[in-house]
Amino acid sequence: MNPYWGQDFFGFFSVLFRRLTGQLPLDHLASDEVQLLVLMGVALSTVLLGTFLSLKKMTMMANSLSHTTLLGIVISYIIFFTPETDLSVNTGILFLAALISALLTTVLTELARDLLKLQEDAAIGLVFTTLFALGIILVTVFTRNSHIGVEVITGNVDALHPEDIRLVWVTALINFALIGLFFRQWVMTAFDEKLSFSLGVPTRALHYLLMFLTALTLIAAFRAVGVLLVLSFLVGPTLIARQWTHRLTTLLLLGMGFGLFASIFGVALSRHFLSVYHMPLSTGGLVVTLISIIYLVSTVLTFRSSRGLIRS
Amino acid sequence: MTPLIDFFTDPILRPSTVGCMLMCFASALVGVVVFLRKRSLIGETLSHASFPGVVIGVFLSALLIPYSDELVALAILCGAFLFAFLGLIVLNFLENRLQVKADSALCFVLASFFGLGILIASRLQQSYPLWYKQALIFLYGQAATMTNMHVIIYACFSFVILGFILYFYRYLEAVNFDPSFSETLGIRSKRLDDMMFLLIVLAIVVGIRSVGVVLMAGMLIGPAVAARPLTHQLSHHFALAGAFGVASGFLGNYLSVVIPQGAYSLPTGPMILLVSSAFCFLSLLLAPRSGLITRYLRMRRFSFQCAVENALKSLWKGEEKASFPPLIRWQLKRRKWIDPQGHLTGHGKAAAEKIIRLHRLWEVYLVDYMGQKVEKVHRTAEELEHLMSPDLERELTELLHNPQHDPHHQPIPPPLPPLGPT
Repeated sequence: MNPYWGQDFFGFFSVLFRRLTGQLPLDHLASDEVQLLVLMGVALSTVLLGTFLSLKKMTMMANSLSHTTLLGIVISYIIFFTPETDLSVNTGILFLAALISALLTTVLTELARDLLKLQEDAAIGLVFTTLFALGIILVTVFTRNSHIGVEVITGNVDALHPEDIRLVWVTALINFALIGLFFRQWVMTAFDEKLSFSLGVPTRALHYLLMFLTALTLIAAFRAVGVLLVLSFLVGPTLIARQWTHRLTTLLLLGMGFGLFASIFGVALSRHFLSVYHMPLSTGGLVVTLISIIYLVSTVLTFRSSRGLIRS
Repeated sequence: MTPLIDFFTDPILRPSTVGCMLMCFASALVGVVVFLRKRSLIGETLSHASFPGVVIGVFLSALLIPYSDELVALAILCGAFLFAFLGLIVLNFLENRLQVKADSALCFVLASFFGLGILIASRLQQSYPLWYKQALIFLYGQAATMTNMHVIIYACFSFVILGFILYFYRYLEAVNFDPSFSETLGIRSKRLDDMMFLLIVLAIVVGIRSVGVVLMAGMLIGPAVAARPLTHQLSHHFALAGAFGVASGFLGNYLSVVIPQGAYSLPTGPMILLVSSAFCFLSLLLAPRSGLITRYLRMRRFSFQCAVENALKSLWKGEEKASFPPLIRWQLKRRKWIDPQGHLTGHGKAAAEKIIRLHRLWEVYLVDYMGQKVEKVHRTAEELEHLMSPDLERELTELLHNPQHDPHHQPIPPPLPPLGPT
């Protein structure tokens, strides 16, 4: 029995609070809590990666990846497929899929640009649409079902598995470890790639690593929230935080704060709409919309305050 | 297996075939403009931004005019147009007013609008499952359910786009190739940019029915990229891109019907896109002038030519024992430069002397005019001697006053007697 059943927006928080403080028994996680944990994990990972992606002006490459991970997943399923494997949460498959999609996207885009002499925007657009189309066709041919493609985009939060929590948080841990470990190098390449290369930072390796981590995060999250939400998480919170600060560490922390805020309120709102208006809304879509609204509000606020500063 | 001709005659297959071809034609034309302005990715963002419009269009028509398929199609078009346009405004505002970097702005608008679409669609899912499905068609495109009415609506849009481009062709040409010059002529590139964005929105609105929101960007880019290596003229670029668009529209639709053989349905959009990408890669690889493979072959051919000429030279110098690779020997024989026993023919001797003459002329030129050291010019001349054209040789002879000896005091063979009566 889900203790959140029938709760409205405030009821959600009161139940959550009582569950956390032990006033209500916390024997197994309710579906809302699974959602909450998954979304929070995704938010932390994506804001971390997204900040570096937008500093390096590579967010459209993340958009490419959000399409091409489908092909990566399909290919690695084909490689691994045996009737016994549990396909839903096999970590090996997911790693392989992330590797394949990151490599395919990056290498092919660079080949199209450098070898085939295609201008950059067209190279990006051509490669990811082709790979995505290939992914969709393969999925349809193998499953004989044309509806799978839809869930790739929208995600299906109701189908969440407690195992997804582990997956998402392990991914978050990997992201934090790899970025935290070489934080200085990451920051240097993000701000001045040529300088840091001349100082001996392996900028190419970091570039590929960033693409791989993004692909990994996308894949870990896509079953839960769909690739679209990840994309919004990658740029949204960073953009919002950027309006309030000029310092990188503050930017990261603030961005993560906004990401967590949007996830928690998104889940609460989704429960609210279901309980009060009997409207089952896509939690992913709700969180994305919430992020846009926060951006809107933040824009209005900072627009005023900056003008006020100039006046004074 | 359905015969090819049925796709144009069969009353069920015909609307989807013609519809797909029209849509891809329109997006290919607009794609050329966008490609030349290097803003290909804007199509990706705006097509996603149109999705909430599609959903709202479906939603409203589900409430107000439930049983009129054509009106629903029109409502969807209007909704898509409005939201793609709104997305454009937000994008411009973010980039110009809020100083958001272009890539972040594109990505953010894309995700936000698309998320809104998904949100509204999920509201639709439970109460109107049928209409929900109708909205989801626009994700990956579905041509099979098009009717003649759809085709007529989309044909009108396509002709509007074609008319636009024909009317503004001169301006497009001027602005694309020399923005500052066209500015002095009084053409405002800002206004033309606005027009371009309007065209993109139109093309997207027309295209998402068959290609789908997710892959629309590819349809804008593909034909323009495929046509680019084949021509240097803007008008040919438009025409070729249009042709590639029509061809991929037809083939994609055809394959998506033929491959599954009725067992299941392949989404039309990805299939069309794969065909158009195949055109792209073929064209990028095989284009007569700039294709990757053609460039490579041209290089190989030249180096083979050099090898053959070097072999000929070594024969002329009397290195009879030199054994050549069979391919080079065959080529020497084919040009009748050597006889079957491997001896130089008269014809071959003349050809060899011509090369030697060029080599030594170049050496004289390099020493006298370029001031190079005598002992260093041999290597350079070794490469230059293969660039043979009669004009070049004549010019060089005149410039150097027909020298008789090269810097190493070797005699320069006389020029070949000109053909025909003198």
